[in-house]
Amino acid sequence: MDIIVCLKWVPDTSEADLAIAGGAKDIEKDDLDYDINDWDRFAVEEAVQIKEKVGGKVTVVSVAPEDAEEMLRESLARGADEAFHLWDDAFEESDGFAVARILAKFIKDRPFDLILTGTLADDDCTGQVGGMLAAMLGVPGAVLVSAIEPADGKVKFKKELEGGLYEAVEMDLPSHLAVATGLNEPRFVSIRAVRKVASMEIPILDMEALGLEESQVGSAGSKIEVEEVAMPPEGEGAEIIGGGAEEAAARLAEILKEKGGIG
Amino acid sequence: MTQIFVLAEHRRQKLRDATWEAVEAGRKLAADLGGDLTCILLTDKAGGMADDLAKECPKVLVVEDPAFDNFNSDAAIKTLRAILQDKAPFMLVMGNSNSMMDLAPGLSVALDAALATDCFALEVQDGKPLAFRQMYSYKVNAKVSFKDAERIVVTLRGGAFSFNPTGAAGGAVEKIASPTAGEAARKRFLNYVEAEKGDVDIASADIIVSLGRGIGDEPDMEIFESLADAMGGVLACSRPIVDKNLLPKYHQVGTSGVEVKPKVYLALGISGAFQHVGGIKGSPLIVAVNKDARAPIFRVAQYGIVGNLNDVVPALEEKIKEIKG
Ligand SMILES: Cc1cc2nc3c(=O)[nH]c(=O)nc-3n(C[C@H](O)[C@H](O)[C@H](O)COP(=O)(O)OP(=O)(O)OC[C@H]3O[C@@H](n4cnc5c(N)ncnc54)[C@H](O)[C@@H]3O)c2cc1C
Ligand SMILES: Nc1ncnc2c1ncn2[C@@H]1O[C@H](COP(=O)(O)O)[C@@H](O)[C@H]1O
Repeated sequence: MDIIVCLKWVPDTSEADLAIAGGAKDIEKDDLDYDINDWDRFAVEEAVQIKEKVGGKVTVVSVAPEDAEEMLRESLARGADEAFHLWDDAFEESDGFAVARILAKFIKDRPFDLILTGTLADDDCTGQVGGMLAAMLGVPGAVLVSAIEPADGKVKFKKELEGGLYEAVEMDLPSHLAVATGLNEPRFVSIRAVRKVASMEIPILDMEALGLEESQVGSAGSKIEVEEVAMPPEGEGAEIIGGGAEEAAARLAEILKEKGGIG
Repeated sequence: MTQIFVLAEHRRQKLRDATWEAVEAGRKLAADLGGDLTCILLTDKAGGMADDLAKECPKVLVVEDPAFDNFNSDAAIKTLRAILQDKAPFMLVMGNSNSMMDLAPGLSVALDAALATDCFALEVQDGKPLAFRQMYSYKVNAKVSFKDAERIVVTLRGGAFSFNPTGAAGGAVEKIASPTAGEAARKRFLNYVEAEKGDVDIASADIIVSLGRGIGDEPDMEIFESLADAMGGVLACSRPIVDKNLLPKYHQVGTSGVEVKPKVYLALGISGAFQHVGGIKGSPLIVAVNKDARAPIFRVAQYGIVGNLNDVVPALEEKIKEIKG
């Protein structure tokens, strides 16, 4: 099984205090920590586990600026066999469509049985790159996938629907699967494991190396445009109970008692 | 004139709510853009579904094909491409359900269309559609435009467009032959796998203490069990807690977990993503403890403490025990 895993390098925004950048087209990102998109960590682990079971090769790839090398190297330490870094300043401001086009161009002439992605990225929250990439490569796909079992040119898996319901599905290979979080337990990577892959080369492919043109990438190659971003209006919101932990807890206990929250 | 198409979604011969929400959004777009509204139903057997749609939608296009006995994104992309490819300018609207997440991105490529997913509002300004959606851990709202696209696909956030039935559209139902009849789909539905049932049923609990990623990577679960005991409630959680095997799946609140309707919901270290909050029904008292004052959970909660769980949780248990005496 040749598996290609697409990884996104995203700012950690879940706990950070966010601010709108000048021009209001994006948020301030300079002070944010970047890491692998949470869903993609599960995708790498899944690829490596499949390889460990049935053999084959795992390739990881990301369209991301230089700093993302750390993520690619860590993926090698997790068991990926090769990593590719696709970047060019012209790729900046690419939307999901343009990113999918860059990835498709990279993958087109490579053999693969399976492309794994995450279902959704925590920065743009769109969940589109995997499905677009699959269509560009002419293969079928599914998102929110777990219990992946490849066999005989096919793959069986469970797809998550709403309310705890799943469907069992079978699909021909080659195909695309976007994994659901929780489908495996990503392994711990030791510093030693990272050191072992420290000298492995991670080629950087730019626009020219990929055979792309300016009009196909960045904002020119994008189909949608973010016009404006804003923090949601404060609205009614919660009454914040002030004071230290002790004081706040005491007040909260009173409220709970009053409202039937202590049974 | 931009034509508006709505893709109906159904499961087990029943139209899903997302369909009606998309009809509502489609009506508004049709009015604002001055186009016709058509609902597309892909199914193995239209049954009463086509007639139900015709009550709310002026035109219903039905394709009956055994490939659509259950939703199949591979077959649907091919069929919708055949139906829509020469219809530009158009906008296609559908729910952002887990099934449509399989369909929309690939379909947008097949149609050479611009795509905006999970939109909570749509507007038309100067004759051009705009979509509103969330980014960055669902903490930021973004206004998105489609450049000059003449083919647009949008998927809608569940619950964001509330449907007002009129029952008076008196629509025409047109059945067309399946453009892809007999083609073997590369993707095949096998069977449904029902939700696993456990020893507690959080759906019927009155008091819920719900845990999120904010409890840390290696939490001492006893602290929370003992708080829940003191409150006479049960433990529930967000998705990452299940992903980390800290609690079984039947404790997960949310759109892909369990819908709960307690009297009191205490959210500890939960950011309040809509897929989580979407699982809290009724109008419970929601109380949140979170160290991030901007966490979206504080927008649905009535009371909140901005603080660290490590300090607040033990103090809260102690105060509750004092009250109970
Ligand atoms: C198709 C789909 C379906 C989904 N279904 C569900 C679902 O059914 N249920 C669900 O829950 N999610 C679901 N999700 C995931 C959802 O989008 C969110 O990712 C998830 O709800 C986030 O969980 P969380 O709030 O625990 O974690 P986070 O978003 O990471 O939030 C953690 C919070 O803890 C706070 N915190 C951290 N440390 C502390 C501390 N020491 N003290 C106090 N506060 C602290 C942080 O400020 C942060 O707000 C789904 C996603 C998709 C795409
Ligand atoms: N820049 C990128 N480079 C590589 N993979 C990506 C990139 N952007 C998105 N992906 C993949 O597509 C998935 C969905 O991302 P998105 O469509 O941005 O929500 C991610 O989980 C990644 O697997």
